[in-house]
Amino acid sequence: MANARALDKRRKSVRNIRKITRTMELIATARFKKAMDRATAATSYTKRITEVVASLAKSGTEVQHPLLEERTATDNAALIVLTSNRGLCGGYNGNIVRETMKHFDRLSETYDNTKLIVSGKRGITNLEFRGYSADESYTQFEDEPLFEEVKEIADSLLDEFIAGRLDRLDIAYTQFISSSKQVAVVETLLPLGSVGGADEESDDSGVDADFEFFPSAESILEEVVPMSFRINLFKCFLDAAVSEQIARMVAMKSATENADDMIRNLSMTYNRARQSQITGEIMEIIGGVEALKS
Amino acid sequence: MASDTATQNVGRITQVIGSTFDAQFDEDKLPDIYNAVEIDLGENGILTGEVQQHLGGGRIRCVALGSTDGMVRGQDCSDTGSPVSVPVGDATLGRVFNVLGKPVDGRGEVEAEGYRPIHQPAPIVTDLSTNTELFETGIKVIDLLTPFVRGGKAGLFGGAGLGKTVILTELIARIASSHGGYSVFAGVGERTREGTDLWLEMQEAKIGDTGRSVIEQTCMVFGQMNEPPGARLRVALSALTMAEHFRDSTGADTLLFVDNIFRFSQAGSEVSALLGRMPSAVGYQPTLATEMGALQERIASTKQGAITSVQAVYVPADDPTDPAPATAFGNLDAFLYLERNIASKGIYPAVDPLASSSRILDPQYVGDRHYQIARQVQTILQRYRELQDIIAILGVDELSEDDKMIVHRARRLERFLSQPFLVAEVFTGKPGEITPLEDTLRSFEEICNGKWDHLPEGAFMYVGSVDQAEEQAKKMAEG
Repeated sequence: MANARALDKRRKSVRNIRKITRTMELIATARFKKAMDRATAATSYTKRITEVVASLAKSGTEVQHPLLEERTATDNAALIVLTSNRGLCGGYNGNIVRETMKHFDRLSETYDNTKLIVSGKRGITNLEFRGYSADESYTQFEDEPLFEEVKEIADSLLDEFIAGRLDRLDIAYTQFISSSKQVAVVETLLPLGSVGGADEESDDSGVDADFEFFPSAESILEEVVPMSFRINLFKCFLDAAVSEQIARMVAMKSATENADDMIRNLSMTYNRARQSQITGEIMEIIGGVEALKS
Repeated sequence: MASDTATQNVGRITQVIGSTFDAQFDEDKLPDIYNAVEIDLGENGILTGEVQQHLGGGRIRCVALGSTDGMVRGQDCSDTGSPVSVPVGDATLGRVFNVLGKPVDGRGEVEAEGYRPIHQPAPIVTDLSTNTELFETGIKVIDLLTPFVRGGKAGLFGGAGLGKTVILTELIARIASSHGGYSVFAGVGERTREGTDLWLEMQEAKIGDTGRSVIEQTCMVFGQMNEPPGARLRVALSALTMAEHFRDSTGADTLLFVDNIFRFSQAGSEVSALLGRMPSAVGYQPTLATEMGALQERIASTKQGAITSVQAVYVPADDPTDPAPATAFGNLDAFLYLERNIASKGIYPAVDPLASSSRILDPQYVGDRHYQIARQVQTILQRYRELQDIIAILGVDELSEDDKMIVHRARRLERFLSQPFLVAEVFTGKPGEITPLEDTLRSFEEICNGKWDHLPEGAFMYVGSVDQAEEQAKKMAEG
């Protein structure tokens, strides 16, 4: 209260923080729009291809595909975690990390070997601090994840799975539901059969799903099933990217507002301190003059 | 005081300005500075004044130590030939006095073994005691961060309504009741009601298990808010004089409690302008430091005996740079700064762990372990305070993991600094906690090291040692 200069200094530093958060908010808004367009564009494709796979699996053909089989082995599991490279996005990373730890512990109970694959610097350090070190980590994914890069990861995981070195693959990411709702979720990506269950409803309401396969259902499956997995994984990355931008936008917006409040309060105390300082000095001078007079 | 009428030196009142007055004496029979002069006001009793200035031409300027109601020019004003003197010795124990040493508890005259002038020189350098020893209070925050010195001075700084008087009363309840020596309480310019409460409380409180009440070892001197500035200016000296006598004559450890030393400076500033001194910074008297120094230097421990003093210091407008509290700062061995933010969180005693400190919080006096723990607690709280702006703007999620941990522990430490008081038992319903120093150190050490991170914050509120926090957490979990 007393020190006007200290108050002014503090107010300046809060102003600087506000400048940063305001800029971050604007950038996040711009990026969010782009990321959202990409995600919505991918949504219909992903949905459709998942439906196709589901209907294929149901179509009664005698075909089998290693990705669709239920696995009974409980040797190896893997958990992919999608977090951001950068902070200042509120509880975004914290929520995923919490989900991850819960799920990882559960997986470790049933599976002998659980591999942790983390994307994003924040998640890597955050999990490391809590004693979960990543077996594999990626930091190249920013707000626009490229399909080629995701495909690489997807293919190597597919190979592992087909070769039997992996029995289950889960992913923890922030699902984008709408621009006002994003939830940190854990989903199972492999084996694909477990994904199909959720899509059965859309099958009933969906358009006619009577496909003719040419040259044969097997050859289509061979192509479509791995594709479905890649796309699904890619969709998770896209969702995560959108959610991150939204989380940042919201966090920075409230940070800017908080900074505004703080500046307002500081200005008020500063003005009061300044005024009382001046009043004090005037009083002293007047008092001195009066005392000299008498 | 009373002297023979024949030889009495009598002057005449020439001017009355508020609570000061001028008198005319014979030029060669001027009363000495600080001498008491008496004026018979008839119905209004006898008014005592203290000579402050010789104005020249046989005129003196005095401060009235009572009300100047009914004073007129031309009244007789007689010199008593000595400063105001107060009764001292065992006869003063259990009694309540005013600034002039007159009993005000309605129990008749005091038959004192002697009288002692309230103006005394401070003990000389070679007589001072050099012994430094920790004085345990059983209050966690005090013992850990601002250890009191036996025979030293401790100050309680705080704005209005932060609980200075409560802490002071608590200390009286803790120290005086387990203390074998004498206690002197000076009520300077505070509420009369508080003084009465304290007096009644002391009659009920017992010293240890001896069956004697605290008041039997205590004398109290009051010059409260309603009294004129002269009384508030001198009442601290009257009390101190009684304490000095116990120190010098009996050699016993004496406790001196002053509530509130700021009123002493304030009273000085009220009369200063009337005495014609030019006001200095913030309108205080130019002699602020001199007056404070003269008083504080007398509160000292000598080779004969020790005076341990606890003083409450009001901080006007919560501004510790105000000259009055700032002058008091330098004279103290330990000071507790009470902070409004902490009080508004409901944490009492609202001691600011970062602004408070003690001369003996030093490995040389309290030992390495105590020092390290205290510094660690302060470091964590300091970091928390630095992070507070960031948390306010960006939220806790943006902190690094290490900082989150610091915030986590700091919030627990902050709450753990609260403690139930003996004197507040009737209000809180919680029995007061006397926490031994060893328990205090161990508790803080364990919290800093993260042993109790799993307990909820609320469990740390108003407990003694950390074990009680654990119990409280269990109770909370059960509902």
